[in-house]
Amino acid sequence: MNKTIAVFFGGRSTEHDISIITAIGSVIKPLELTKKYNVVPVYISKSGKWFSDEKLKDISLYRSDAIDDFCAKSKPLSVIFDGGMVFRKAGLKNKDVRIDIAFPAMHGAYGEDGSLMGLFRMAGIPFVGLDMQASVVAMDKVLSKQVAQVNGIPTPKYVSFSKTDFEANRDVAIKKVTDNLKFPQFVKPPHLGSSIGITKVSNVDELMNAIEVAAYYDNEILVEESIENLIEVTVPIMGNKILQTSLVERPLASGEKFFDFDTKYIGSGGKKGGGKKGAQGYSELPAKISKTLYDQSLTTAQDVYKAIGCEGISRVDLLIDSKSEIVYFNEINPLPGDLYLHNWRASGVSSVDLVSRLVELAEERFARNQKIETTFSSSFLKQF
Amino acid sequence: MKKILSFYSLKYPKTLVYMLQSSEYKIDDYLQWVKRTKDFSQVAKRRQLDGTIKARLILALLWLVIVLMVALACVFILIFQTLWSVLVAVVILLITPWLISYVIVVPLYLGHVFIQKPREKRIIASARQIIANHKGLKIAIAGSYGKTTAKEILKTVLSQGKKVAFTPGNMNTLIGISRFTKTLVGDEDIIIFELGEERLGDVRELCDLTQPDMGVITGISEAHLSSFGTIENTISTIFGLQDYLGNRTLYKNQESQYVASKIKSGDDLAFNREGVNGWKVSNPKVDITGTSFTAKKAGKTISAHTGLLGLHNIGIITVTISIADELGLTLEQITAGLNETVPFEHRMQPRRIHGAWLIDDTYNGNSEGVRAGLLLLKEIESKRRIYVTPGLVEQGDKTREVHEKIGKQIAAAADMVVLMQNSVTEFIINGLNEAKYKGRLLIVDDPLEFYSNLEHFVAVGDVVLMQNDWTDNFA
Repeated sequence: MNKTIAVFFGGRSTEHDISIITAIGSVIKPLELTKKYNVVPVYISKSGKWFSDEKLKDISLYRSDAIDDFCAKSKPLSVIFDGGMVFRKAGLKNKDVRIDIAFPAMHGAYGEDGSLMGLFRMAGIPFVGLDMQASVVAMDKVLSKQVAQVNGIPTPKYVSFSKTDFEANRDVAIKKVTDNLKFPQFVKPPHLGSSIGITKVSNVDELMNAIEVAAYYDNEILVEESIENLIEVTVPIMGNKILQTSLVERPLASGEKFFDFDTKYIGSGGKKGGGKKGAQGYSELPAKISKTLYDQSLTTAQDVYKAIGCEGISRVDLLIDSKSEIVYFNEINPLPGDLYLHNWRASGVSSVDLVSRLVELAEERFARNQKIETTFSSSFLKQF
Repeated sequence: MKKILSFYSLKYPKTLVYMLQSSEYKIDDYLQWVKRTKDFSQVAKRRQLDGTIKARLILALLWLVIVLMVALACVFILIFQTLWSVLVAVVILLITPWLISYVIVVPLYLGHVFIQKPREKRIIASARQIIANHKGLKIAIAGSYGKTTAKEILKTVLSQGKKVAFTPGNMNTLIGISRFTKTLVGDEDIIIFELGEERLGDVRELCDLTQPDMGVITGISEAHLSSFGTIENTISTIFGLQDYLGNRTLYKNQESQYVASKIKSGDDLAFNREGVNGWKVSNPKVDITGTSFTAKKAGKTISAHTGLLGLHNIGIITVTISIADELGLTLEQITAGLNETVPFEHRMQPRRIHGAWLIDDTYNGNSEGVRAGLLLLKEIESKRRIYVTPGLVEQGDKTREVHEKIGKQIAAAADMVVLMQNSVTEFIINGLNEAKYKGRLLIVDDPLEFYSNLEHFVAVGDVVLMQNDWTDNFA
């Protein structure tokens, strides 16, 4: 009998829409094509309600307001934790669906930051991708940089402070930045993905505005010093203990523009670069960099993956100073948009093979964790 | 229950017309299909009914019969008003679907006997006269497979120095070829005829029409075995070309075991990938862009690259060189012609898909083609070799044997095999198991779903070979 996989997407995150594309195009369809699983879509609306219906597998539902009508007319899903996870669809006769494996296809807050993974851990079911602890670290750009530093992995100089501190005394926050970092700098909300809220600044006025933008999205602000002679590359990786790297890819942003949300998902990217159009704009695949830098990028990416404790899949973004030939860790994406299928495909892994492997990795980790004793028998309660 | 209800569905009459149309209005094929169909709701998977005038007229006739039968049942009840009359009415209604499945062929049969056949007879007689009066060299090509490829290569090369006419597409029946003769101008140097074969004696009958001066037998396999009954019948039908030609030039494919069994030793016109008629082939190479080789005979050398995939093509290419040389084409003309040959549609036709190479050989329908395709898959450099097939239709009582053999051949060539679920799937799996196949096996119920989602199955560096087609009428 086929196992049932629930694919979670949407969610209360700024990357709600990207998640829909990832789920429908890159996860649900390939999973169905394996003919090994019953695939149950679980759409989490922007208001946080969960829905499950076969109609939710159709992308056209999301192109218009039809999804809002659907949510208004449908009953949200109830979840039963009975030592596993069961979805109950209310109706004249309740319909229960037991979930064997969870496949989170969500980006950003609640989906990629460990929250959902905590829920699956509580339910006691295998789930695809990073575990809770690694997700928490990976989705915090400050924390992940600290982990990298502790492990001797170079990362750009940075300063971080809370939104509260900034609002309490802006001048102190600005001084902290200017005393420690040179311009140009990047201002980032540390807990968001897809480059949302990131601004490149060259002077104090721009810095102030950029911090206000970042503070709009996050309670913490990260300011990084820009890397000179920059080559930006990214490396998709999958695996638990044994890692498989894909190709080193170089996103091609036009001119001074960095690879922001529009470039990744909406604009045409840096066509002038002559690269191939990937799922996320134009890029050079594989990156045309020296073999030394290419190999160093693969090594650094794997070091970061291991240091953060990643399992399943991730994409590590790196910054290279082409003169000094230093490869810096920039950030890590626990669940890359559309799983970075174009890159995996270019390295010889089809989308069907990719999702199949990810499910295997989830089951492998789950089986390993099952062997760990989580209860402890004692006579403690007898004394009461 | 669903199967029984499909018999009484409103879509049932349309399904019958679809079956008739898909059987190319061949009454025997249609009736056999009807007999073996259990669930009429599952018939039209690959296509839908094409609403031609002929189809619409037949559909209207069926509905008329249905209305009459319902009226008859009502009349019975109203006139007799007894329990028996109700029972008779129910029986009438119950047998109506069965009745209309046969009524449908009546107008076709009558039209065939009284209109179509006499007209075709006139057209064929006229064509025979046109061909008899034509001064051009007539080349006939017969075989279970490889006819179209042979025709296309000959046409492309011989056209470099001669005016060539050839039967287009699959116009290879008596009536098809006769219609083609109407397009002849009269000044053609060469006419190439492709001779089709479906029934015993077809090729000899086509020879009487086309009156060839020379011929090529491209190969014999189990294709159409359901019609021929035995492979001996297939062999004798195709060798009808030899019976007609007698001592005149006839090239025969030595790489086909059934043809080879009829070749006498020392026959210079028996061809294979090593050459023919004194032409010796050396340095053959194949990759995804095509096949290259050198052919030499008595001081003459031709080095060519054709877009055709597979070393098995070299045999027929050397036949073309031999014919062209005998007809006086220069070596440059022959080389230019060979360099111009490209894969034909759905026949070993490569194309890029998401960084992988897809070789479309879905028009192939014989075991020799499968063998050649799998050898090619093995020879071509790739990260992963994927083979996709529904299996072969019309293999008669050799069906099990042929498909078990294919399973073994796949096991030696593919890293992944995708089978379209049907009646021969288990035989291919038997072959895979016997050969202890270690690769991945995927069985799909819906070929269209698979084809339209191919991008999800492939990655850069893959070579995917898709062979054979399994139309609804072979379900």
